Amino acid sequence: MAVSVWPFVRLKLRLTANGLRGRPGRVALFVTGAFAATALAILGYAGFALPGLLDAPHAAEILLPFGGALLVLGWLFLPLLFFGVDETLDPARFALLPLSRRSLIAGLGTSALIGLPALATLTATAGTVDTAARLGGPLAALAQAVGVVGGLLLCVLLSRAVTSAFATALRSRRARDLATIMLAVVAASVGPLQLLLLGLLDRANWADIAGIAEVTGWTPLGAPYSMGLDVAAGRGWAVPLKLLIVSAAAGGLLLWWHRTLEQAMTGLSSPGSRRMTARSTSTPVDQLMFRWWPRTRFGALVARETRYWWRENRRRAGMVALLMAGLFLPLTTTFGPGAGVAGPLAFVVGAIAPVALANQFGYDGSAYATNVAIGIPGRLEIHSRAASHALITFPVLVAVATVAGLLAGRPQGIPAQLGTLLAVYGTGLAVLLPISVRGAYALPESTGPFAVSSGGGLAKGLPSVAGMLGGMLGALPVVLAGSLLGPAWTWAGLPIGLGYGVAAYLIGAGLAGDLLDRRMPEVLAAVTPR
Amino acid sequence: MTVPAQRTGEPVAAMALRGLVKRFDTKLAVSGISLEVPAGSFFGLLGPNGAGKTTTLSMAVGLLRPDTGQAVLLGYDVWQSPIEAKSLVGVLPDAMRMFDRLSGPELLAYQGLLRGMPAAVVDQRARDLLDVLELGVGNRTLVVDYSAGMKKKIGLACALLHAPRLLVLDEPFEAVDPVSAALIRGILQRYVAGGGTVVFSSHVLEVVERLCSHVAIMSDGVVRMHGPLDTVRAGRPLQDVFVQVVGGRVATGSELAWL
Repeated sequence: MAVSVWPFVRLKLRLTANGLRGRPGRVALFVTGAFAATALAILGYAGFALPGLLDAPHAAEILLPFGGALLVLGWLFLPLLFFGVDETLDPARFALLPLSRRSLIAGLGTSALIGLPALATLTATAGTVDTAARLGGPLAALAQAVGVVGGLLLCVLLSRAVTSAFATALRSRRARDLATIMLAVVAASVGPLQLLLLGLLDRANWADIAGIAEVTGWTPLGAPYSMGLDVAAGRGWAVPLKLLIVSAAAGGLLLWWHRTLEQAMTGLSSPGSRRMTARSTSTPVDQLMFRWWPRTRFGALVARETRYWWRENRRRAGMVALLMAGLFLPLTTTFGPGAGVAGPLAFVVGAIAPVALANQFGYDGSAYATNVAIGIPGRLEIHSRAASHALITFPVLVAVATVAGLLAGRPQGIPAQLGTLLAVYGTGLAVLLPISVRGAYALPESTGPFAVSSGGGLAKGLPSVAGMLGGMLGALPVVLAGSLLGPAWTWAGLPIGLGYGVAAYLIGAGLAGDLLDRRMPEVLAAVTPR
Repeated sequence: MTVPAQRTGEPVAAMALRGLVKRFDTKLAVSGISLEVPAGSFFGLLGPNGAGKTTTLSMAVGLLRPDTGQAVLLGYDVWQSPIEAKSLVGVLPDAMRMFDRLSGPELLAYQGLLRGMPAAVVDQRARDLLDVLELGVGNRTLVVDYSAGMKKKIGLACALLHAPRLLVLDEPFEAVDPVSAALIRGILQRYVAGGGTVVFSSHVLEVVERLCSHVAIMSDGVVRMHGPLDTVRAGRPLQDVFVQVVGGRVATGSELAWL
């Protein structure tokens, strides 16, 4: 081993520092992130230390393995789903250097340990050492401390190995597109699943859960975090076995990483299978347009936009998330805690729907130059985009209203429910369309599906949230009218809601269109990735 | 309809830039460019990387708003009467993605319909272009999966579809293989012979020397030299003029002796 791990660590720190230099926005986000990580670490520590403080070994037997397992799973999924993979040290960058695989893995692994997530995890899980010490004395604490360190290594190795494997598996565009959708489905089902889990927990008994916890303690997920408790409970013999489980898992992951690393470095970038798609015999215009579509500018704009909702992976992910939310929310409420919230939750779906348009020009990126170079009038542009979005969203809204109405046992209320949804959707569009022109921002020219523009997720999510809240507030009159009118609402709800939504949309779209006419080059500059 | 300015007298310049300035944050990307492109000329805009070529052309065709200055295309001011100006110009932007999740034929149809052309004409011309550029009329591969050369060709087809009087091409020969490059050169030469005007940016001097009737050499956001090719060359190889004007370093043979 000619190269020690220190150059890697120094490189990572230097890259992180350079990324922050001269960018106050990034520094602010970094500080916010550090603050959040500290808060989570302290909360985690407190949570894990609580059973010890209360002297509740049974609670500890459940909390520690489950909490630990959740943490390991979090290391597996969270980077993929939300935060993106920290590729400060991208293995591909080292491909040309004469480094042995062993020193590369040691270096990358160590530098992955230097970072907020690892530090926060270590701090939080240190709470389990606290619990073990209070329940079983110093020997238990020592065993738990060993477990915590092993657990951290496991977490880091797991996330590195998986992302490295992903990086090689997802070189072709098709695979990437597919993965984005799968992840969108998983991500969108996290919330509903939680509700479902809570509902199930309500009905489960604690003996079963303790049993599951014990089993979890013997898997690599929970083993590191239950060693101290074994000592405390007089099962000292379990510790070497669990150590063996942890080191076997870590060894396996190391081996896997070792294998995939080379591919990640050399980049076996196959251009994807050049399958010859069936040749089309129809004319170019017919290929673009749907059969019954008007052969006009508006028709072409809507056709292109509609195809993009399916062909562009970020948009498709947004669409899939909306579908999942729309169909799962009313469903889960019937199984989850407190039925009878299906209606209000469906209302939320109407507000979420237009959020996909919050950065509609950002999705296009510099391709929007085509429309600018041709000089498409602002209102035409806005109307066509909204029309294509509505084309996809409207069936979802109808389905949501129907399902929610049926589940609530009030099929006669479905039209009124749909009216409310349309009103919320319309006002949401009205608020978000001008925002989409005014607050357009560039999305990264993504090479990996999980690449995030470093930081910035928070500040950029703000317009969407504002639009969602604005949409809900704007539609309040309709909701109020619904509760005031009483029985008459059942039949008046749909036309009133529809009219309200359309009126709101027309105002918002007009504003946005005029704004776009004045700001077309500025919008293009804003969405062009640098 | 805006009446085109200065229609009388001498023929209108295909592109006239007057005092264009663009500043990005702290960097002055283009500082006061004035340029006349005569109608019917094959005009090469030369310059090293970062000279401001793309910024200049973006401002000229209405993709980027200049801080000050004026861009007039075929007599119409791009920022005063954009619809008229834009309808006469075909643009191939560099480093700008097209709507690349469409197939080639779909992209052309989109472009044509947005230009307000009748569907039948769009179909006819799109077929011709796809055929000549060897992209395949029935090819359903998405443009995002095209090779670099094919992307340039479909971009060029989009720019040509509405038969513009002026073509503005940013780096049309970048990353294009020799066969495709020859094809593109042939099409452009025929277009100019038919009375069209081509303005293109490049840093490949051989191409410029072979094609252009007029050139302008840019560096650091300023036009250093412009005029008919032979005037600019003044009997020397364009390469030497370029390096001298831009102020680059020429290897003398004494450095890197250890190589």
